[in-house]
Amino acid sequence: MADKVCLQPCLGLRKAAILGRQALYVAHEDLRPETTVLGCGPALNADVQEDVDFISMYPVLAVEACELDCATRLIDKKGKAAAQTLRVTEIAKDLGIDIEALPEHHLETDHPAVQALAKHIAGQVDALLAAA
Amino acid sequence: MTEEHEFKVAVLPCNGIGRVVSTVVRLAGYRIKELRPEQVELVASGRLIVKDPQELARFTKYPLLVIDGCRPHCASFLASELGKQPAAHIYVADIAAANQISIAGEKRRGLTDKGKKLVEALAQKAVEEIDRIVADEMLSTL
Repeated sequence: MADKVCLQPCLGLRKAAILGRQALYVAHEDLRPETTVLGCGPALNADVQEDVDFISMYPVLAVEACELDCATRLIDKKGKAAAQTLRVTEIAKDLGIDIEALPEHHLETDHPAVQALAKHIAGQVDALLAAA
Repeated sequence: MTEEHEFKVAVLPCNGIGRVVSTVVRLAGYRIKELRPEQVELVASGRLIVKDPQELARFTKYPLLVIDGCRPHCASFLASELGKQPAAHIYVADIAAANQISIAGEKRRGLTDKGKKLVEALAQKAVEEIDRIVADEMLSTL
């Protein structure tokens, strides 16, 4: 039975990706430090052992910013499958977050949109662990 | 200027997430684009990893500047995996050492002035490289 979830972000350059990235720092460092690890896409692609171990040992929650689903596809490329894929754009809509209204390039982690998305992600982590 | 004489550089920051230098590299990418908006095509590592055709086209078309944040040199690995030899390569630790900038105590979720100083130094070094690459490309057409 898994005791942690690997959070795997898309790491794109656009606003939705920045929102996702910052929310994952909050989810991992503040909300679920004991039950999550944070996977790095470029490192996994380069077969950095820690990141390979993360997707081997734990269910993966991929957090995507667009329809390309780069994080989910990277997990596939490495011979595994994401346990769940979340799309920031869809969750933002449900949470009433206007992504276009967010600042470019960087969001502070205390921004309400970051906090709301992080809480949602933490809930998904709990659900994945409960189902595991 | 015709498209065949479009002198641009593809900039590939590693754009990782795990370390403070990941944030430094990410923010430097945006700053580089601000400093050389007409010369820079900022390429997303995630899209390249899954070989998104549009991203791959930009990556292939222009000379490449690679920026690696930490020791595994993941952006360099990606360029090599895709069969492209970079025209220039920057490693953040080299910039920190050359400029005597320490980012001890900085956090990956957001930088203070100390971290932003390294972002600026990195961006300035990248711009030097971009100007050199563009000049080299221009002169090679004469």
